[in-house]
Amino acid sequence: MDLIIEKKQIKDWLAELKKENVVIDSKKDALPIKQYFFPPKQEIFIFNKETKELESPDYKKEIIIICHHLGQLEAMTQLDEIMGKPNPDFFYWQRREKSILIGLIDESVEVAPGGDLVLEKINSKQYRVLILTEKGKKIIKNKFFKEIDKPEIKNYLSEENPFKEMLLDSELLADAVKWSKNHKIWDKLAKKCLGCGICTYVCPLCHCFSIDDRVVLDDKECIRCRQWDACTLPNFAKIAGGHNFHKTIKERYYNWFYHKFVRAYKEYGKAQCVACGNCKRNCPAGINIGDVLKEIVEDYKKHGKSI
Amino acid sequence: MENLYKPFKVKIAKVEKHSNDVKLFRLEKNLSFNPGQFILVSHFGYGEAPFGIASSPYQDSYIDIVVRRVGTLTKALHKLEPGDEIFMRGPYGNGFPLDFISGKDIVMVTGGCGIPPIAALIEYIIANKDKFGRVYLIYGAKTPNDLLMKDNFKRWGKDIKILLTVDEPDKNWKGYKGMVSELVDEIKIDAKDAVSVMCGPGPMMDVLEKILRPLGIPDRRIFVNMERKMQCGIGKCQHCVTGDKYVCEDGPVFNFDEVDKNWD
Repeated sequence: MDLIIEKKQIKDWLAELKKENVVIDSKKDALPIKQYFFPPKQEIFIFNKETKELESPDYKKEIIIICHHLGQLEAMTQLDEIMGKPNPDFFYWQRREKSILIGLIDESVEVAPGGDLVLEKINSKQYRVLILTEKGKKIIKNKFFKEIDKPEIKNYLSEENPFKEMLLDSELLADAVKWSKNHKIWDKLAKKCLGCGICTYVCPLCHCFSIDDRVVLDDKECIRCRQWDACTLPNFAKIAGGHNFHKTIKERYYNWFYHKFVRAYKEYGKAQCVACGNCKRNCPAGINIGDVLKEIVEDYKKHGKSI
Repeated sequence: MENLYKPFKVKIAKVEKHSNDVKLFRLEKNLSFNPGQFILVSHFGYGEAPFGIASSPYQDSYIDIVVRRVGTLTKALHKLEPGDEIFMRGPYGNGFPLDFISGKDIVMVTGGCGIPPIAALIEYIIANKDKFGRVYLIYGAKTPNDLLMKDNFKRWGKDIKILLTVDEPDKNWKGYKGMVSELVDEIKIDAKDAVSVMCGPGPMMDVLEKILRPLGIPDRRIFVNMERKMQCGIGKCQHCVTGDKYVCEDGPVFNFDEVDKNWD
């Protein structure tokens, strides 16, 4: 038996959910869904200059997020791991624990990579329900879902993505990127990259941040904000006094790759990349990260062991 | 869930001027820590930054930090007086490998503002002097006025040998000039059973070539306390990376041969 929802009923189900919950459809979002748990800018502490007391804004809103890409769901599973271990990130979990993530996927799902609930397209009229968590289970106990014996199951192939194939061997990627430190490609990229940081903002996995204070105009409160940062920006590793540990765009760009493919592999056993292509689509200089990796890996296979 | 970013309030008990642009702040706090660990200090409205703890780990009524006036936060801190309150969180990081270094001869090397974590280690060594062999401190600075924590030298000097060196001596200067090889002649250690502890960012490579290599201390027995930009202190924000390591979580103390291979 499979649990099914009719395509035309999804809208009614969401409308029903909206009566009691905030439901966000991320389809047209420019930024990845990490933004709902790790906002681009967030007030984390308020210091009252008169009472000298410190408060942390409470967060009570529960949200349901509809996500249309398997890559985004996979990224959320990874981001949960990053923000969970070894030190849990309070502000991320404050929002994440109150959220429900629904994948509405128009392709066949072999293994659901994340989320609380995945609706998988099985034919032109129906979606099959894959329940991943208790939270997901709760929102399908209603008239919109029904059990069907042997529904018609068609295969909807995802677009071919050679970049995704490459990610299957994250050990090779780690070795190749580590080896490539003196590869000429980094000089080429340093000339091309504008250092704008957009690739990190649109990446569903990048999670660099900085913490800054600002004073409210009436001088009664100081607000501590955490905001997205980007390791490709010039001041990312610059300390007071002026010393910069990553002075050049070449170092910073390499560091970005080093984190995603080398350090992430050592920390979590996989690359911090889901081949979603957001960075490529949004790069104003037209850098294609997949092509960069391909070149490095090919050269590593050719020359790696001898250099 | 515990909010690891939330700092707590501490009162400033004492402020000492140590040089033209350096002050020591004594914070009223009973804190358990390892020498070499750091805290994140907040002055709301001006931000948060890491500082190595300079006081003895056995001191249970206060901790000392040494602050050079160099950026927004440190400028604001320098305006504070005893009785004022600031915020802090920590301690963070690993600290020096106390078990590894115990029983051995020790050569500590630091420059200018690198002294605080070394000072905490010196206090630990002095409190446990039976556990250590011959102990040396090589402390360098630009001018004699840039040497910090000078009031401690006399007391420390009873148990450890202190070698001071400056780049620009004045006419009363009796110590050394620069990181010179003559310093090596003053150090009598058993290189087979000695460790070195450094706190940068000073003339680390110079020290290595001119002093530690001639003394015969291998890289694997050299420990460095590193400095990087830091925001979170708990291994999330990515600012403090060096190679495969986070200075905040995996450090700030590393084996020299471990970080020497890092590209950054």
